[in-house]
Amino acid sequence: MSDATTSAAGERSPAASVAGPNWRDRKDRPIYQVELWPNQSLTQPGLIWFLGISAAFLALPAATIIGTAVFWGLTPFLAIAFLGIWFAIRLNGRNLSFSETLWIWRDEIRVERREPNGRRLRWQAEPFRVRLRIHKDAKIEDYLTLSGGGRIIELGAFLAPSERIALADEIESALTRAVRA
Amino acid sequence: MADAAAHAHDHEHKVGFFTRWFCSTNHKDIGVLYLITASIMGLIAVGFSGYMRLELMEAGVQYMTNEDGSPNGHLWNIMITGHGILMMFFVIIPAMFGGFGNFFMPLQIGAPDMAFPRMNNLSYWLYVSGCTMALLSVVVPGGNGQGGSGVGWVLYAPLSTSEQGIATDFAIFALHLSGASSILGGINMIVTFLNMRAPGMKLMKVPLFPWSIFATAWMILLSLPVLAGAITMLLTDRNFGTAFFQPEGGGDPLLYQHIFWFFGHPEVYMIIVPAFGVVSHVVSTFSRKPVFGYAAMVFAMLIISALGFVVWAHHMYTVGMSVNSQAYFMLATLTIAVPTGVKVFSWIATMWGGSIEFRTPMLYAVGFIFLFTFGGVTGIVLSQAGVDRAYHDTYYVVAHFHYVMSLGAAFGIFAGLYYWIGKISGRQYNETLGKIQFWTMFIGANITFFPQHFIGRQGMPRRYLDYPEAFEFYHFISSIGAFISIASFILFFYIMIRTVLAGERITEENYWDDKYPALEWSLPNPPPAHTFETLSTPADWDKQQPAHH
Repeated sequence: MSDATTSAAGERSPAASVAGPNWRDRKDRPIYQVELWPNQSLTQPGLIWFLGISAAFLALPAATIIGTAVFWGLTPFLAIAFLGIWFAIRLNGRNLSFSETLWIWRDEIRVERREPNGRRLRWQAEPFRVRLRIHKDAKIEDYLTLSGGGRIIELGAFLAPSERIALADEIESALTRAVRA
Repeated sequence: MADAAAHAHDHEHKVGFFTRWFCSTNHKDIGVLYLITASIMGLIAVGFSGYMRLELMEAGVQYMTNEDGSPNGHLWNIMITGHGILMMFFVIIPAMFGGFGNFFMPLQIGAPDMAFPRMNNLSYWLYVSGCTMALLSVVVPGGNGQGGSGVGWVLYAPLSTSEQGIATDFAIFALHLSGASSILGGINMIVTFLNMRAPGMKLMKVPLFPWSIFATAWMILLSLPVLAGAITMLLTDRNFGTAFFQPEGGGDPLLYQHIFWFFGHPEVYMIIVPAFGVVSHVVSTFSRKPVFGYAAMVFAMLIISALGFVVWAHHMYTVGMSVNSQAYFMLATLTIAVPTGVKVFSWIATMWGGSIEFRTPMLYAVGFIFLFTFGGVTGIVLSQAGVDRAYHDTYYVVAHFHYVMSLGAAFGIFAGLYYWIGKISGRQYNETLGKIQFWTMFIGANITFFPQHFIGRQGMPRRYLDYPEAFEFYHFISSIGAFISIASFILFFYIMIRTVLAGERITEENYWDDKYPALEWSLPNPPPAHTFETLSTPADWDKQQPAHH
């Protein structure tokens, strides 16, 4: 479940962190595990091509005036332009680089959201107390939430509606298996 | 993880007038702001040209005079400078790139907004600040002991480094602000285009308008820093005793021309390439056919943009370059005709066999193709270094670039506004008035600029306040054409204001019944404040794919 994008540019989720156990403690294999992240359409080779061509074209005027005083007047502006686009692409990539991971064991369900700033937000509950719901009246089409552990959390708000429905089916099936196990 | 309350219920976030229009970070609102501001600046710039055509209508100096009746050449120079700076930096690009680009590029690629919405707001207000400085440069103390800067939009040294007063400094600051606005806007567009396309929308699936905006943004990013550097050096030459372009201090004024035109020629393509995108959509919609040769159209746009960086010195054949240099720039310039021809033939092939409907946007698009081609052909004539010896700085050049820009890019803006005004405002224009406006503009603009080829060829130099009576006939005709065009332009304002205030409401999303619609045609008229918060799927935008419903 990887192809998706942010729910709204610049928008931050009102996330809340919960204190939990050491999340590296469980070594047993979960019944179900899924990692979700938003879509970014720029690939690494695409980035290299774009920056390479940009650098070449920015170097062109500077190369023609090497040895003149004007070179020193012009080059800082060219450098700022290159660094500006580089920084902007990296910043946008970082803003979109968050993920949600869900694990389901027989006795526990965990969700961890990794924020762009590295902060980790966690939620856990018991599978047989968890309720999964798809909201038809929400701002986001087929909005998916999980309730349990005293909270209601959203999952995959950045996915396409069809992806959320497919995800809900998978989680429902995994929860059923967890409760029956 | 996120608590669910954030998106649990469907309710629009209401914002007040001031917050919406002065603090907006919404790409659609900012697009509208760009269109409105550029229109106002366009009206002022057209006013300047009307004043100039009035003066040129007859030989002798009738209107631009000092109190004692003697010709006021500085006032003429101010009009020339103001018209050029406003049109080049504050009208065409902001309308096309800032207006249509902001409003429709994110919509057509399925992005919820621009990558950096706050930076988008900053870009717009920098542009407004630049407009203010540009207008002030017309009135604050300038050269010849009068108000206003009269150094021409190209700001050639040493005239620009030596003109008195502060008006030229204001003009330079105006370009700085405009440049900063455009570079920030360009970075925003590039990042949005590259990284925020809908899932599955690979580059060769992107509609042609976003492609044209991306190509323009890339040109802005690569060429405007060159202008920024050049005019900063002008500023230090004027105010801090440097001599980058001052010959008496060892500087080289010719070098200014080189680096200016390294920016200046891509600038011409920044103006025209977004029009390519608009016209492609309009032609496809009203021919009921997909764009012919999509991949060729994309690559032609990119190649034209790239070639724009290696032909700059064809603007300065007469400065004393070596024959070899002239030969290179001549051949490189001729090469541009190839991708341009690909585009023109692809538009014609799109129309070929189509079920063509000549609504106002289509009239403007066809007018664009015909007249842009005409202007392109005279560009081929001017690209010949030998021929340019005779034509350089004559009215032939004025006619050529106005055919490309006044009749090309401006027609692209008109086409886009008639095409999308229903989507932007939720109301439709009056078709009869639209057609009247097109024909008066088409006829008026041609009457204005077609005769200028003839007086140019006869030797009438550009940027002159007065002329011998031998040139009067064509100047008179040209001025009549300008007045018709201005009347048409005022009619255009009336049509747009009437449309927005009292036009017929349209509820059908795809109101042109576009058979190959881009994503904006899946949205209400006008689109809600927040769009594509729910991801679009390939079935929404790729009509080659089976529907998913």
